Amino acid sequence: MSIHRLPIRSGELIDRSTNLSFTWNGRTFSGHEGDTIASALAAAGVEVFSRGMKYHRRRGILTANHWDPNLAVQVGDEPNVRAGSRRLVDGMEVTAQNVWPSLRWDLGTANRLVGRFLSAGFYYKTFMRPQFLWHNLYQRVLRKFAPGGRVHWKTGVHGEYDKRYAHPDVLVAGGGPAGMAAALSAAEAGASVMLVEQEPELGGHLRWGGPGDLAVLADLSRAVHSNPGIEVLCDSIVTGRYDHNWVAVVQRSHPVAPERLIKARVGSLIVAPGLVERPYVFAGNDLPGVMLAGAVRRLVNLWAVKPGSRAVVLSANSEGDAAVADLESAGVEVVAVLDARAGEDVVGARGRGRVSSVQTGDGRTLRADLLVTATGWTAPTSLLNMAGDRPLYDRTAARYFPQSLPDNVLATGGIAGDGSTTELTAHGRETGSLAAQRALRLRHARRTQTPRSLPPESDPPDEIADNRIPLRRSPHPERYRSTTHGLVDFSEDVSSKDLIQAAGEGFDSIELMKRYTTVTMGPGQGKLETVNAAAVLAESRAVEMADIGTTVWRPPFSPVSLGALAGRIFEPVRRSALQGWHEANGATNLLAGQWVRPDHYGSPMTEASNVRENVGIIDVTPLGKLDLRGPDVANLLDLVYVNRWQKLEVGRVRYGAMVAEDGVVSDDGVTGRLADNHYLMTTTSSGAGAVWEMLEDWLQTYRPDWEVHVTPVTGGLTSINVAGPRSRELLGRLVEDLDLSADAFPYFSVRKGIVSGVEDCIIWRIGFTGELSYEVHVPSGHALHVWESLLANGSDLGVAPFGVEAQRVLRLEKGHYIVGQDTDGLSKAPTAGLGGLVKLDKADTIGLPELRAAFERTDLPVLVGLQPDEPTVVPDEACQIVAAEGNEILGRVTSSRMSPTLKRSICLAQVDPSLAPAGTSVTIQLVDGRRVSATVQEHHAHVDPEGVRQRV
Amino acid sequence: MIVVPCPNCGPRNSSDLRNAGEVVPRPDPQTASLHEWRSYLYLRENPAGWVTETWYCRSGCRRYFTIERNTATNEIRDPGNS
Amino acid sequence: MYDLEFLSPVSSGPLSTPDGGLSLEDASASTKVLVRAARNTAAGAHLKVTYGRSRHRRDGTLICGSRPGEWTLLADPGRGAELVASLPDEGFVSVVDITHGRAMFRLSGADSIGVLAKVCNIDLADDMTPDGAVFSGSVAKVTCDLVRDDRDAGRSYLISCERSFGGYLFAAMADACAEFGINVPAGLSVH
Repeated sequence: MSIHRLPIRSGELIDRSTNLSFTWNGRTFSGHEGDTIASALAAAGVEVFSRGMKYHRRRGILTANHWDPNLAVQVGDEPNVRAGSRRLVDGMEVTAQNVWPSLRWDLGTANRLVGRFLSAGFYYKTFMRPQFLWHNLYQRVLRKFAPGGRVHWKTGVHGEYDKRYAHPDVLVAGGGPAGMAAALSAAEAGASVMLVEQEPELGGHLRWGGPGDLAVLADLSRAVHSNPGIEVLCDSIVTGRYDHNWVAVVQRSHPVAPERLIKARVGSLIVAPGLVERPYVFAGNDLPGVMLAGAVRRLVNLWAVKPGSRAVVLSANSEGDAAVADLESAGVEVVAVLDARAGEDVVGARGRGRVSSVQTGDGRTLRADLLVTATGWTAPTSLLNMAGDRPLYDRTAARYFPQSLPDNVLATGGIAGDGSTTELTAHGRETGSLAAQRALRLRHARRTQTPRSLPPESDPPDEIADNRIPLRRSPHPERYRSTTHGLVDFSEDVSSKDLIQAAGEGFDSIELMKRYTTVTMGPGQGKLETVNAAAVLAESRAVEMADIGTTVWRPPFSPVSLGALAGRIFEPVRRSALQGWHEANGATNLLAGQWVRPDHYGSPMTEASNVRENVGIIDVTPLGKLDLRGPDVANLLDLVYVNRWQKLEVGRVRYGAMVAEDGVVSDDGVTGRLADNHYLMTTTSSGAGAVWEMLEDWLQTYRPDWEVHVTPVTGGLTSINVAGPRSRELLGRLVEDLDLSADAFPYFSVRKGIVSGVEDCIIWRIGFTGELSYEVHVPSGHALHVWESLLANGSDLGVAPFGVEAQRVLRLEKGHYIVGQDTDGLSKAPTAGLGGLVKLDKADTIGLPELRAAFERTDLPVLVGLQPDEPTVVPDEACQIVAAEGNEILGRVTSSRMSPTLKRSICLAQVDPSLAPAGTSVTIQLVDGRRVSATVQEHHAHVDPEGVRQRV
Repeated sequence: MIVVPCPNCGPRNSSDLRNAGEVVPRPDPQTASLHEWRSYLYLRENPAGWVTETWYCRSGCRRYFTIERNTATNEIRDPGNS
Repeated sequence: MYDLEFLSPVSSGPLSTPDGGLSLEDASASTKVLVRAARNTAAGAHLKVTYGRSRHRRDGTLICGSRPGEWTLLADPGRGAELVASLPDEGFVSVVDITHGRAMFRLSGADSIGVLAKVCNIDLADDMTPDGAVFSGSVAKVTCDLVRDDRDAGRSYLISCERSFGGYLFAAMADACAEFGINVPAGLSVH
């Protein structure tokens, strides 16, 4: 079936002893190991690979490499695969994209008939209004015709993507002769090197060269692969260069993942991508059979594919001349060679489905099925632009060159100039040495500055000047557009005519034109079309190319799959030492911040009632816990809490609330004094990290003379709250040498002791649930033993575990607010009812001026207890409280539950101060729009407002 | 991802640290007017150029320190050297 | 006082490649003591090592200069009280036994550098992070303290994190090891 496969070529990549079977649009084909998808299909006689984006004209091979705009295909459920570079794999299912219903019969071709509507600015002009058509029509129809493959939202094929970090001294982007030489000399200078090549093998343009090129390639490649200082990544792309030489590489062909994102911090970045051959703009330049010189050279020499039978070649350079020789050696009849250097030209290609004739500048019509152009080069300077460079146009060489680069970015190879293979590798070697020298100086500095590293044994390498002999710039004719119009951007279907029209409409700066016409905005990202676009604009404005400038090249250099960007997904979760027990005993989990914890064990209401009636135990380990030591802890507490701490005695605990410098409530918790200079602070679960950082900030920045050591002990102490009227009896059975009686261990005090044989437990008597309760902090390695002992020794007391939901209900019955739920980012201390707590006469406390100002205000919202008048109505949290008439918002419900104790709904709410007096009737607007009335209560607490139960 | 030179750890990726913002002196809470206090809370220079800012070496030494950073170029220098 | 077993946050046993070249094992039960001391204290002088470096004391304790003015002492299980008592306590010195508060693993083998490169952005090259280096950083998005503590002339790292992250981090490390030939047991998934 390989009707166009040539006899063996000396540099061919294919292994003819292999046979890989694959399908193309359902038909079975075969190719060899080393084939690209496109080369295997071309060998089998396939000429059409895709359709143009707007006009849906047939498209064939144009460049036969990674940048080919016509070779985007779907492989299995992977969209937008570049068939020009993707190697064939046995069993691949390849289909065409952007065709409907099929590649052969594509309804989109009808767009050609309405082509004038699809011209420049088409989107802006057409899809403006009426807006309702967006959903009903535009979106659905446009999707059908939109380019790109099908994304399968649920795919089992791709596996997991991967990520890694790297720290090479030198990263070389491009594995052609200059890049390989640079990598070698950098490694020889002692630098660690990463060499990244987008094709599956090294060599760049040497790969399709003559015997001399192939010999150089073999030598360089062998040396690179055998150098232990060089990590070679083929089939990989440097997609971006960011601040401080942070470089992104997408690595394909890795055994563990389809793609892997490498985040590299690089000493020196060497940019050696070579040159990208530029298409020529003329009528019919997108017909299958119109190819670039490089394309036919690759097809013939790398994959032994005969690209046509009768060829016309338009050549402005040696690549075109070499193509003529390659075509002749492949048995293609070269009908005519038009020398663009001598002013010869092509004005059109015609044919149905494929080129059948070529119109020359001097009026001839030549019969041919292949038209090869070699009209010049584009320097893919993207990575240089990302480093701040603004390349300059050189009209004698007809391309752009780097202008000024930071010291840690160097260019070599074709992007820097022209030369023989020897000259290119010589420049590469010098560039590699220079890059290594600079990188090793940085490494030396880094080692000096980093205390964990080995101190450098010697002085840093001397700074050396950039004495590289610049590569020359060979003259090249400026050939961009013929006398006819053709496509400039093949992936976006933008023609030279569109660009001239856009300029005529006033979009005559390159950046505006780009956005208006979408030229350079497709998958090629300007590699083929940028310079032609600038040339057409220069022509239409009758100015020099150099005055046009270029569009800004931003990352990524080449499209990146979203999977690669996501990489491995790491979502840390925290588990208490008891979480395994919870899960083994029927807990339904809840994710609270990073903590996985039990929401309930089946019936939160039963769990809550059991606490009121008997005794319950809850795992409250996520409470932030900070061990504070030193003579100045009380000073620190005085500063960060709104209340006073100097007189807290050893053995006592106290509630404290924190505000930020703006007076907004930021955290709360209890802190106990364990010894003269030793305290244990608790914070909210979500606030633990922020409070710790805040304490460190005060101690390091503002109060460096204070002696306090802060140690987070959240996970080290497993916290178990034993709550309920029978908690004293239960805990009494487990403690040793500790008197739990009300007199010996009063409310709001703390003791250290042994619980169920576990030493160093800290027990404090507080009551978030409103019941008699003890919070036991157990060294976590022994926590499960204590938890199980509590359950084993309390079955006659009715002990049962309770989860977060029961605790929420209990605390709401008790009217305890939760920072961040009942307060928000604007809730100042008076709103939370902290008037009795805040001490404004301290010398300093965080947010003091704002606290003073806040307590003088009368307009701040007030947190109140609230009960809906209809006891079965439980408003959703965050329901608005509104004026009885109209829609004025006067507050909102912040917490709301059915109370198992009162058998009615209970709430906390923030309300306008006019509604705060007890007995005020307010209106709650429910989610469904209904309005219900509710009455403001005297206390936040709905159950036991006097606190009798917890003080027994 | 810029590199921040931590005076204790050496150069680190900025993801290892938290930018705590421009250095703004804290007024004396006993004598500051509300206007002065709110300037401290909310007003920043935010220049396109050199700024003195505080960073917290969150994943490293857990120390707060100040550097000078050029917000236009991300060039960084030690405040002692300016 | 019962003889209580220390329960680690990691429920998995040691993992290794078939040839034993790469291994990941739980070391959470190790004694870990955190010392904070001003430079001019006797404790500071006794501990000697500076931030970023570590040394083995004759009694087998690994003394790590874990932060400026801060040391972490690592030793076999059950030596907490002994280590706390071994430190001079005059001056502003805090000694906290954090054995229960930190999970710890040991990752060993030539490929351990490759494993860590998948989850940690720190440069682990021999000159930047030699044997004995002490450093902190994000490992699979958890802040960890690490020590390069080579064993039998082979690369080895001690990695510790807040105890509650231990189960997750062990699974994440095992996942990173899979590329190098460790079979990750079912149920030890990061996702």
